[in-house]
Amino acid sequence: MGTASHLLLMALFAGCVAVVGGALLKDTPRQQARTAAEIFGSLVGAALVLGWVLYFLPL
Amino acid sequence: MAARPSSKRPVRAAAPATPASPAARPLVLVYLLGWLIPGGGHLWLGRTVRGVVFLVMLPAMFVIGLALDGRLFPFTPGEPLVALAALANVGSGLPYLIAQALGFGAGRVLSVTYEYGNAFLITAGLLNALVIIDAHDIALGRR
Repeated sequence: MGTASHLLLMALFAGCVAVVGGALLKDTPRQQARTAAEIFGSLVGAALVLGWVLYFLPL
Repeated sequence: MAARPSSKRPVRAAAPATPASPAARPLVLVYLLGWLIPGGGHLWLGRTVRGVVFLVMLPAMFVIGLALDGRLFPFTPGEPLVALAALANVGSGLPYLIAQALGFGAGRVLSVTYEYGNAFLITAGLLNALVIIDAHDIALGRR
């Protein structure tokens, strides 16, 4: 795992959580896939937005 | 005089008929199996596809967490945040017990992926707790 990038690990984490979340929250495969995609997109999108916001903050 | 209906809620009687008739499953065993084997409660209740998803994904997250040098936190008195992380780790069930028995999960703080590993390990346990709650709802016929 030494060569894995932060972005890849974040996407992997988001993917795992999205699959489990989709399976938990919905009942039909179509709904589960849609919910998983929404969770994945939300997690990755929020991380990217927060990353850029923090980039401009003088911390 | 007609008999009055019982004031007790017939929760179990309202369970829908499924192939495995979840209403017949003792809840304690559903919890125990669901904790020990992620997705095991769902498999036992006849929710095969969902159970297999959990059975694959949650141990996979746990193994990835270990591979990323994550730590299985000990129950340390006086450190509530560490205790909460330890509790989340225990939620993974059998993978946690096996890792503890084999001496995995020491964690490498200097590793770049240490925090990622912790995130995977802790989240796997917490998600398994949600999976057990879902199995509880299925066993009561709410889903």
